[in-house]
Amino acid sequence: MLQYLLRRLLIAVPTLLGVSLLIFLAMRVIPGDPLAMISGEGQGTRVLSEEERESARQSLGLDRPLPVQYLDWLGSVARGELGYSFWTKEPIREQVLRRGPISAEIAILAVAISWLIGVPVGLLSAVRRNSWLDNLTRVGVTFFMAIPSFWIGLVMILVTVRVFYWRPPLVADQLWENPSTNLQMVLGPAVALGLGLAAVIARMTRSTALDVLAEDYVRTARAKGLAGRAVTLQHVFRNALLPVITTSGVAMGGLLGGTVATETAFGVPGLGNLLVQALNRRDWTMIQNLVLLYAVIFVVINLLVDLSYGWIDPRIRVG
Amino acid sequence: MASDTSRLFDDLLKGRRSRRDLVKAAAALGLSAAAIADLVAAADARGAPSSQTPATQAEGGTGVESGILRVPEPNPTRGGTLRTAFGVTTTSYDIWQGGTPHVLTHMYNGLIRQNPFDGLQTIIPDLAESWEVSGDVLTYTFRLRQGVTFHDGTPFTAADVVATYSRVISPPSGVISVMKPFFRSVDRVEAIDEATVTFVLREPQADLLQALAAPFNCVYPKQALDANNQDLRTVVVPGTGPFVFGEYRDAERWVMPKNPTYWNPELPYVDGLELIHVAAWSDRGTAILTGQADLSWNVSRETFDQGERSADVARTEVPSVGCYTVIMNTQREPFNDPRVRRAMHLAISRQNLIQAFRTQETIALSRWVSHASALAMPAEQIAALAGYREDKSEDIATAKQLLAEAGHPDGISGLELLAASVPPHAEIMAPAIQDQLKQALNIDAQIRITERAQLVEEETSGNFGLVLDTPTISIADFSAVGNLYFRSDAAQNFGKYANPQFDELLHAADQELDQERRAVILRQIEDVLDQDPPWLLVGWTFHLPMWQAAVKGLNLEARTESVWGRVDTAYLDR
Repeated sequence: MLQYLLRRLLIAVPTLLGVSLLIFLAMRVIPGDPLAMISGEGQGTRVLSEEERESARQSLGLDRPLPVQYLDWLGSVARGELGYSFWTKEPIREQVLRRGPISAEIAILAVAISWLIGVPVGLLSAVRRNSWLDNLTRVGVTFFMAIPSFWIGLVMILVTVRVFYWRPPLVADQLWENPSTNLQMVLGPAVALGLGLAAVIARMTRSTALDVLAEDYVRTARAKGLAGRAVTLQHVFRNALLPVITTSGVAMGGLLGGTVATETAFGVPGLGNLLVQALNRRDWTMIQNLVLLYAVIFVVINLLVDLSYGWIDPRIRVG
Repeated sequence: MASDTSRLFDDLLKGRRSRRDLVKAAAALGLSAAAIADLVAAADARGAPSSQTPATQAEGGTGVESGILRVPEPNPTRGGTLRTAFGVTTTSYDIWQGGTPHVLTHMYNGLIRQNPFDGLQTIIPDLAESWEVSGDVLTYTFRLRQGVTFHDGTPFTAADVVATYSRVISPPSGVISVMKPFFRSVDRVEAIDEATVTFVLREPQADLLQALAAPFNCVYPKQALDANNQDLRTVVVPGTGPFVFGEYRDAERWVMPKNPTYWNPELPYVDGLELIHVAAWSDRGTAILTGQADLSWNVSRETFDQGERSADVARTEVPSVGCYTVIMNTQREPFNDPRVRRAMHLAISRQNLIQAFRTQETIALSRWVSHASALAMPAEQIAALAGYREDKSEDIATAKQLLAEAGHPDGISGLELLAASVPPHAEIMAPAIQDQLKQALNIDAQIRITERAQLVEEETSGNFGLVLDTPTISIADFSAVGNLYFRSDAAQNFGKYANPQFDELLHAADQELDQERRAVILRQIEDVLDQDPPWLLVGWTFHLPMWQAAVKGLNLEARTESVWGRVDTAYLDR
C-alpha cells in the first residue's frame, strides 16, 4: 500500500512540473502586457510611458531571463512562499489561505448536495425503471447536465432579488468567524454547482444500479425473501457506488472549473474568483500559482479516489 | 447680462461681495449653477480674497468659507457605518502612482476641495485655509491650516505639501507620476514658511485649481516619503483625513474607522466606512435594492430603473468624465486623410448609437467638451450641428462627396475595428458602428475582439486602424482632455493626431482664465475637431449613482460631474 502511494506521488511530480512549465510559458507567450494596465484601476486605464514601464518591469523582476524567473518561482513554491501579486503586492500565500477555505467549503458542499440528490434519485429511477417517475427524472437530469452552473447561479440571484428582495451577503466571513454569514454566502454557489453534479451522479447511479439489479446475487437475494428496500440498500447501493465515486472524482475537475465561473457569478471571494480577477489583470504570478494549486488539488483528489476503491471494495485492495 | 456678470466678478475679486452673496445675486440674474460655479472658480483663480475666519453660523451653517464643513441640518445623526458597493481594488496604495482615488481619498486631504453641498460646483478650502493668485497668474500662494496632524500624530506643515507636489512634478527615478499632466505648467512648489506654500508656474494654467481640488490630491507626510524612498506603492501611510486605515482585503473590502482627532471637530458623522468590492454594475444595484449597501457610485441601468419603484432608495443621473469613442490612427491609410475622418464623423448617427446602447449605459448627445464641464455646449445646440443632427440625409451626402474627393467613391474595404472583449463593446457598440459605416458610406470594417490588456497594448503601440475605447479622465475641464489625448505630443494620443491649429487654440484655452473668452476658444477648438476629427466620438456618458434614502449630507442630486470619493459629510438618518 505504502509502495503504491509512493509510486503515485512520484508520478505526480513530473505531472506538476509539466503543468508549472506550461502555465509559466503560456503566461509569457499569450499577448497582453500586465504592465499595460497596471495603473489607474477604477479610473480608466492610464498608460505608462516606455521609461515607466521599464522601471516597473525591473521592480517586478520581469527583466531577468526566463529560466531565472522560472527557477526563482519554483524555489518560492518549494519554500511555500508563492511570491507576491503583481498588482496588490500582497503575499499570494495569504490570499490562498484566506480564500481557499471558502472555495473548499463550496466544493465540499456541492459534492455533498450532489450525492444527497443524485444517489437517491438515480437509485429510485433504476428501481422504478420506465415508470413516469423514471421518465421525469431523466428529463430533469438531462436539463441540469445541459445548463452551466453559473447560469443556474444567475437565475438564483435574479429570483431571490426580484421576489424576496434578498441577495447573498457581499462580504464573506470564514465559517469559524461568522457561520451564519458564511453559509448564506457559500450555499448559493454550492447549490448551483451541486445541481449540475447531482445530474451526473444520478445518471451514473441509475446506469450502474440497473446493471447491478440484473446480477445473479440480487436475484438470489430476492429469491431468498429479502425485502425490496433491503436488497436496494444492502446489495444494489453498495455495488453501484464504485463507478459513482470514480465519476465524482473526475467530476471534481469540472467542479474546480465550475467554481471559477460560479464564484464570479455570485461574487464570492474564493479562489475561482481570484483566478478570474488575476486573468483579467494579467497578474502572472497569481495565475501561475493558482493554476499549479488547482493541478495539485486535482492530482490529490484522483489519488484519494483511487485509494477509496480499496476501502469500498475489498476485492481491489492493493497489497 | 455680460456686463452684469462682469460686475459681479469684479465685486468678488475686490472683496466687495462674498461668494455666498455672489451666488445669490448671480442666481437672481438667471445664471445657471454651472455659470455661477465658473464665475466663482475664475474669481478664485484671480485671487479673490477668501475668508480666513473660523466657521460660524453666519456662513450659512455649512462652513464652506473656512472649510470646517458641517451639514446644514441642525442635528445630524451620528454613528453607524456607511457601506459602499463599488469597484475598490487598487494597484497601489500610492494615489499619485495609480492608486484608486475614490478609495484612498477618504484617508487624506488636499489643499482645496470641491464643495459637496453645491454638487462640487465651487472650490472651497481644505488643508489650505485660503489662497491667492498673483496678478500675472503665475504664482498661487496657499495659507495652510494650523494645528492639523497626520494620523500618527506628526504635525502637518508646508514641508509635506512641498514634498508631495515636488514628487508629482519631478518624480525621482523609479516613481511613476500618473497625475503629472494635470500639473503640466507648474515649475516648482516652495515653502515660504511653515504655514505658506507657493506653486510657481511657467505659464498660466486655467484648470490648475480644478486639478488641485480633485479627490486625487492626497497630501502625504514628508517623513513617510523620505522613509520609503519616495515610493508608497506598498505601504499605507498616515494621512490627515477624516478616516484612518483599518483593514484591506484585495477585491473584498476596505474598513476605515473614523479619525477621532480629525481637524474638523464636526466630521465625520459616521463611525466608519466599509467599502465593499462589487465588480458588476448589476450586483451593485441589487446590493442597494436589498439594503446590503448604502451607496453605490454607479449601478446598472436595469437596477437603476428598478430603484424608481422603491421609496427607500434614491438615485440620480450624473454626467460622467468618460466617453465612448473610436480612435482613428492618423498615421495609417485611409485615416491619414482628414476628409475620410470627417466623412465618418458626419455619417454616423449618434442618436441611433445612443438608443442602441441605452440598455447598457446612457450616453449624452455631446461634443468634444464633456457635458460634465460647465463650458460644454448645450445638447439642443449640438443637435443642430452637422454630424450631430438627427436627420442624416445632408450629412451623408456631404460625407459621400468627401470620400469621393479622397479617392474612395465606392466606399472603403479591408478596415479593422478593434474592440475589447467586454460584451457591451463587442456585441453592441462595435457592431452598431460597423453597420452604420457600411450602410451610410459602404465602409467595410471587420470587428476584431481582443482582451482589454491586449487592446491597450495594441493601442499604445499604434497597431490599429480603428479602436473602440472608453477614455476616462479625472477632471472634466477640456484642457485636461486635450492635453492628454489630442495635443500632438500628448501622452495618450494613440492615433498620433497632429493639428497645429488645434495645438495653438488648446494652448490659448490653457492660459485663458476668463470663462466667457475661454468658452469662445473652446467652441473654436470643437469646430476644428469637427472638421479634422481625431476620434469618431459617440458621446460622453452618464453615471448612475444610487443610495439608500437614509444616506444624507452628500447632496448627490446636485452633482454635475461624476467625481466620486469623499463622503466625510455623510450621515445615516435611520
